[in-house]
Amino acid sequence: MEQVRSFTAKVFAHFPFPPLLRHVFHFQLHLLAAFNRARHAIMGLPIDSKAASLSGEARKRQMLHLKTKEECRLGNETIQVWTVELPSKHAEGILKVIKDNVEHQDAIDLQHLRRFAKPKYLPQHVLGRRDLVKEMYLVPQAWEASAPTVMQMPDATWEWSTASKMRTNNRPPTLYLMVCPSETISLRDLHDLMLQHPPFCSSPDSWAYPLEIKEITVPRLAPTSPDQAKNWSDMYWPTFYRKTNPFGAHPTTIEKAETDLQTPLEDNISVEQALELADYAGSLTEKEGFGICTGCAIVERVDDKTEIIAVAGDARRKPLPSEIGVDALNDNDDANDTSITDSQDGTNVPISANERTKARREKRKKKKAAEKAANEAETSGCTSGNVMSHAVMRAIGMVGRKRLRVASQPISAESNFAAAGLEHNEEARDAFFLDLPVNPLEQQYFEKDNLKPDGYLCLKLEIFLTHEPCMMCSMALVHSRVGRVIFKHRMPKTGGLTAETVSNDTGPVGLGYGLCWRKELNWQFTCWEYNAAGKRAAGDGTADDNKHLNLLPSCDNANVGKLSFNSIHV
Amino acid sequence: MVFGPIPNREYHEGFMRKAIEMAEMALASDETPVGCVFVHNGEVIGRGINGTNASLNGTRHAEFVALAEIMAKHPSSILKETDLYVTVEPCIMCASALRQYRIHAVYFGCLNDRFGGCGGVMTVHSDQGVDPTYPVYGGLFREEAIMLLRKFYVQENNKAPDPKPKKNRELKTEILPVSTPNMLTPAAMPTVEVAKLNLGKPAKSG
Ligand SMILES: [Zn+2]
Ligand SMILES: [Zn+2]
Repeated sequence: MEQVRSFTAKVFAHFPFPPLLRHVFHFQLHLLAAFNRARHAIMGLPIDSKAASLSGEARKRQMLHLKTKEECRLGNETIQVWTVELPSKHAEGILKVIKDNVEHQDAIDLQHLRRFAKPKYLPQHVLGRRDLVKEMYLVPQAWEASAPTVMQMPDATWEWSTASKMRTNNRPPTLYLMVCPSETISLRDLHDLMLQHPPFCSSPDSWAYPLEIKEITVPRLAPTSPDQAKNWSDMYWPTFYRKTNPFGAHPTTIEKAETDLQTPLEDNISVEQALELADYAGSLTEKEGFGICTGCAIVERVDDKTEIIAVAGDARRKPLPSEIGVDALNDNDDANDTSITDSQDGTNVPISANERTKARREKRKKKKAAEKAANEAETSGCTSGNVMSHAVMRAIGMVGRKRLRVASQPISAESNFAAAGLEHNEEARDAFFLDLPVNPLEQQYFEKDNLKPDGYLCLKLEIFLTHEPCMMCSMALVHSRVGRVIFKHRMPKTGGLTAETVSNDTGPVGLGYGLCWRKELNWQFTCWEYNAAGKRAAGDGTADDNKHLNLLPSCDNANVGKLSFNSIHV
Repeated sequence: MVFGPIPNREYHEGFMRKAIEMAEMALASDETPVGCVFVHNGEVIGRGINGTNASLNGTRHAEFVALAEIMAKHPSSILKETDLYVTVEPCIMCASALRQYRIHAVYFGCLNDRFGGCGGVMTVHSDQGVDPTYPVYGGLFREEAIMLLRKFYVQENNKAPDPKPKKNRELKTEILPVSTPNMLTPAAMPTVEVAKLNLGKPAKSG
């Protein structure tokens, strides 16, 4: 156990040191995978290291599936329905009468509710609900002319609103029938219909079973979890959980994803590792002066095997061609090339001291230029830098570049543009989109031809993010047809994925766009908030949002400057 | 949706004509025919056509391609005094990017009922947010913009290995009119033309 703990400590101790990590990071992923396997072997034993929180139930709660817009909007919607109590032996007969005679009785899908319920399974307030038929006769003269008025007084107290005194003690078993939504048929029509059929019509039984019609409230939509079903059964009416979800991803899809990511197969990357990688990418570009401390890692999962396709940090402060000139830009690109140390076959070649000095000098130069540009941007009133270089946009761009490279038939990225007779400057374009690596970490993943050839955009790829992306980046993920998205920190003022707007506990939690799952759009993907420390509850509010910067390895608040990080678009 | 009046319409039509020309280029090169120009002080400083197919990047929209041209020569702050003319309403992604770049105003041809971020599906340009809002004006050369899109879909369907039945790939030329107070020849794509939005009125307050 002690070994496990010290190993973990060692792994995390490495994170703040990029030069070391550059060479060992991939190796670490393998070690972490091995460590994961070891951990599974010893599951059940208490481990009080950072990894310990990953066990059992704690693991489950770390990936918090985001609610969809419709789940938020409709999840608690209810509907009024008529219900009648009848002897069990007449249940099917009366149901048939309803089906045959009440038009549109099934127009609203209430398959998640039991049609018949035993009285003992009904909430007390349903049993005690006032009988509307009695009310009809209570004011016989008013009935003909103004029945609706009578029935629209929900708060009125009625002399006879308690259970019927007419019922005998040794009645045969009864059931409550959920007739249909009360907007489907009027109380009067239902009453008249029922009185035409046994047991309510004149029959030997009819005296024992006077017709009682009650209007009750039931959930309008199917529950999306077993817990919700239980809750609603207690509150309203016996409710089924059918393992379906019309308002979001199918529950089994979510479960499968959570298993894939939280208990990865041998050699596969885990959600925690992928997020560490995204963190690391963000901390690198921030240190290099290119951007803020946000990052993105993109993973492809084919036949249950994961490959890291692209890794990118935010680079919004990297100078634009207009800010340092296109020539200087070229110099920088050259320097960048020499600092790349990984050879083609993927093995790491150490760089010489000379090269390192050169690289450092270049880095300083670049950082100065970046700072200058950032300052200029700030004084000119535009503090957001190059919006196009948000980590998500860069990583998606890298996937496109990689696809061009591994395509079975060559495609020239700008052929159409040129064909259309438009001149273009490739260096300037690349500097704007920054869809090429800016440091050895990004390069290491970019240069691997590990993407399946001839795939489509980012179809079904998995996206790991330090922060909830802005609207631009969220929609870019929709356009790119991604499969799963996991982010660590919500951005309540700028994030595009969260569908909730307010949490009972913490107040505002998001803008409510919920772009990950909108019926109006042509693509939906599943999305989780990752709760690393096991402390941040879903919907954690703004109060906490500057704290997370301190949690990130080697992240530095300084670059955020005067801005409140809350208001930054990630 | 009602497209409101656009002051000095002829002036803006001149630039929208250039955007339409860009969209025609896109169509000629098998890209979704969306084109745009960015205009600063009466001068076109950036042009773009959709480039998603050539780049295998689903985010390479006309607006972004044009922004790349602008940023080669200008600081991003120039966008504060720059207007965008685009044949199709900017999508949600572009609408957000434009807001973050602080675009001055957006003029578009037809609504984008699938992804529109300036009224077609969402209203990213005017929603509450940390960045200032920007005004949008729709309906400039709307019919032309729609016809270009239709031509593209007919063209694409005919290229598909298993083309759809003939009636589906005929070019529909009839364009439904939309209730517009100031336009004599408005046209409607079969879009969700959201009625509650007043696209003609600048959303910008200051
Ligand atoms: Zn973003
Ligand atoms: Zn767009």
